[in-house]
Amino acid sequence: MFFPTSLSRGAGFGAVVGVALMLSVFTVIDFDGWWTVQTVTNVLHFASILGLIAMGQALVIMSKEIDLSVGSVYGLAGIAFITLQPGLGVPGAIVAALLISALIGFLQAMAVLKGALPSMIVTLGGLFTVRGIIYVWTGGSVRAFPEEARSHWITRMLGGEFLGLEASLFWLLVLLAILSVLLWRTKFGNHLLAAGGDLDSAKSQGVQTDRTKTIAFVICSLLAGFAGIVTLADRPQTHVTLGELLELEAIAAAVIGGCLLSGGRGSLLGAVLGALIVVSFRYELIALGAPSSWFMTFVGIVLIIAVIFNQKLARAAGHSL
Amino acid sequence: MNKQTPLIQIKNLDLHFGAFHALKNVSVDFHAGELVGLVGDNGAGKTTLIRVLCGIHTPSAGEVYFDGTRVKTFHPKLAIDQGIETIQQSVGLCDNLSIARNFYLGREPVKRFCGLPLLDFAKMREMSGRVIRQFGLRENVSVDDEVERLSGGERQSVKIGRAVEFKNRVVIMDEPTNHLSVREREHVNELALQLRDQGLLVIYITHDIFQVHRLADRIVIMENGEKIEDASTETMSAEALEEVIRQGGRIVEKRDAV
Amino acid sequence: MLKSEIKRLVRRHTEIGILVISLCLVLLFTLTSEGRWANAYNIGTILQVTATLGLMTLGVALVIGTGEIDISVGSTFGIGALIYLWFAVRIDPVFAALLAIGAGALIGAFNGILVTRTKTPSLIITLGSLMIFRGLAIALTDGFSFSVPYKERDGFSYSVLGGTEFLGINTGFYWLVAGLAVLLIALKMTPWGNRLLAVGGSAASAHSRGVRVERIKLSAFIVCGVLAAFAGTLEASKLGFADGSMGRLMELQAIAACVLGGCVLAGGRISLPGAVLGAFVLSSVQSYLVVTGVRPQWFIFLLGLIVVFAALGDRTLRRWSLKN
Repeated sequence: MFFPTSLSRGAGFGAVVGVALMLSVFTVIDFDGWWTVQTVTNVLHFASILGLIAMGQALVIMSKEIDLSVGSVYGLAGIAFITLQPGLGVPGAIVAALLISALIGFLQAMAVLKGALPSMIVTLGGLFTVRGIIYVWTGGSVRAFPEEARSHWITRMLGGEFLGLEASLFWLLVLLAILSVLLWRTKFGNHLLAAGGDLDSAKSQGVQTDRTKTIAFVICSLLAGFAGIVTLADRPQTHVTLGELLELEAIAAAVIGGCLLSGGRGSLLGAVLGALIVVSFRYELIALGAPSSWFMTFVGIVLIIAVIFNQKLARAAGHSL
Repeated sequence: MNKQTPLIQIKNLDLHFGAFHALKNVSVDFHAGELVGLVGDNGAGKTTLIRVLCGIHTPSAGEVYFDGTRVKTFHPKLAIDQGIETIQQSVGLCDNLSIARNFYLGREPVKRFCGLPLLDFAKMREMSGRVIRQFGLRENVSVDDEVERLSGGERQSVKIGRAVEFKNRVVIMDEPTNHLSVREREHVNELALQLRDQGLLVIYITHDIFQVHRLADRIVIMENGEKIEDASTETMSAEALEEVIRQGGRIVEKRDAV
Repeated sequence: MLKSEIKRLVRRHTEIGILVISLCLVLLFTLTSEGRWANAYNIGTILQVTATLGLMTLGVALVIGTGEIDISVGSTFGIGALIYLWFAVRIDPVFAALLAIGAGALIGAFNGILVTRTKTPSLIITLGSLMIFRGLAIALTDGFSFSVPYKERDGFSYSVLGGTEFLGINTGFYWLVAGLAVLLIALKMTPWGNRLLAVGGSAASAHSRGVRVERIKLSAFIVCGVLAAFAGTLEASKLGFADGSMGRLMELQAIAACVLGGCVLAGGRISLPGAVLGAFVLSSVQSYLVVTGVRPQWFIFLLGLIVVFAALGDRTLRRWSLKN
């Protein structure tokens, strides 16, 4: 149901084509390397995690802002989850990590909206500050989960397997459904798109654009934090560079998925598919035995092609940009 | 009516923005030494038409002739080089630049210094200052001040001053008296007449038929992207023209049919 | 009267804020570090870091001036460094530096053409090229690092290109001073500079005055690429080696320095001396943390706060100066 609705709005169309194209190419050039349980499981798991972050990024981009801090928030939430667990227990640590993420999102939103600053600057600052907190907090050391936390039912629910697939995939689908309803079927969603599409008009119609954008920032940080928790629930070991450069991948995923930086248009499903494309490239390159750094080059190329393609698509559909 | 070749000749001009048909088969001539009022409601296509003339939009179909030569490429630079100066409502001044820098934007005077083409600040300040003072800029505003601090009328003065200063052949004024006080408005209208008397073609765009009727030699009315009337102010009164606008062209069709 | 004079000064010189900040910081650092910060050796180090970061920042500031942004400079820096070292050893440092600059110009042209031709947001295009060229740099070096043997580090041209010190300061710093002077003249005193700022202030207005908006933007991207690659060259000369990760996160530092220096991201209002001072402040803070024994991890934390508060302070100052 969500699939056709968001597809008909056009924004995610490019990503659907992209995924189909990519899968057929990978199948043709490297059938044995690509269609293995190992590769597919890894791709789905990491695409789910990136997808969570990309959805939040998509929401923020649709409100005509940007959030560069998601990689750092992802890292901090994951590290908070592991580090606070001995004191607070697994549920307490999760709540604390999510609260920290939400707080970061809220503070950034305040700086953007009350300080009337470009979100790029504020979240660039957030990227550094949060990464700095990670460095200072962990002191560069590596931490891991004790056995009893690892086998805690919540940890297993977040990071374990379900029906033979990684749990992260189910979390992604549930959140995709919830957020799609939120975006396309609620007043908040309408306000978000209006604030991104035409801020002055939205304001003139009494939309509380500041509040709407704040919520978008908070959701974005929460999703990034949640993705960090899910990652570490699965492989509970921290390192200070956790989530570095992830903001670039998340923006790439959202843009590949059809989010336009001019705001007001985009697709959550597209962002998730964009994440799938980004992650698939990484694993296919690994499967092909290419140096892993080529992955970045490929993502960069795909990003540029996707943004130009989506822009042309939007123009052809008669949207003014 | 003027018999010589028109300075600007527009033939069957069409312009599409995506799905929007902004100009529909517009043909109109403009002669040197003429003050033409281009009138129509908002969205009638007046501004779009003159944006073609000043090179901002490239037409989808149709021909534009300037001084008998077909215009093939449209760019503001070419239009300005040809001597077509446009005073537009919303664009023309960069808020972040000083008055002097705005005045010469795109055709900055340079002085060679050790072979380097550097801006001739003395000339820029002197000329822009002298011209702009005539148009009622406050005494405490310097030509080095950023345009950001000017009032609406003062911004208009800078644009008009710029149009007057450079030796042009065509001056297009898009709603030049918007945001102006009554006295400033009179002043601007007088300038428009002066320019015409110097032999320039002046195209004066407004939605106020009564205001322009007093000035213009000819009135062109647009509606919905089409030209619906083109009449000399001697043959048609302002009231008759207003009726045309109100009827949205139907009256013209009726008359033509008779 | 004095107040309105100050307001006028602030209005015309966006770099006033950063100038005051730098002076205060220099004073503070000197007084609180017992000579560990303010000594010839340390200042020399700071100026060397300022030189490379500053050159890169100058380019980014120009692009920001046109209302676009270039975040690929970190990768361009890395590519420049690698190309320089590869050819400096095999052929000649000057030739190598020219090649590096050429590569930078190509990357800048790549960004600029894509941005102007497709009318796509420069943030995304340069994000793409950041990844493309970073990936290339790492793949080309294949995990190894390039280095110059010590005996070859004494050549004249190698030394001039940041390989050694002159009057106690790395030669790179003189390049920064020269670059700043040239660009300052170009920006403030030539038609190109006038048009560049006009494009950033209002592209539509500039276009209506006959300015070739796309060419101006393209030229800014090319200059930016050239400067980033040249900064990489100087850094590689200084270190004598380079690997694929060189210049990582430098794009963010360069943008931070621009913001510190009073450049407005929306375009049209930039200060080149301010941007260089911004780079100086960032390298000073970093060095201060090192010499006072604060864990260097704090730097990245402070960097974030500095960016946000600098932007906030700059905006407040500007609003104040515009009030009558």
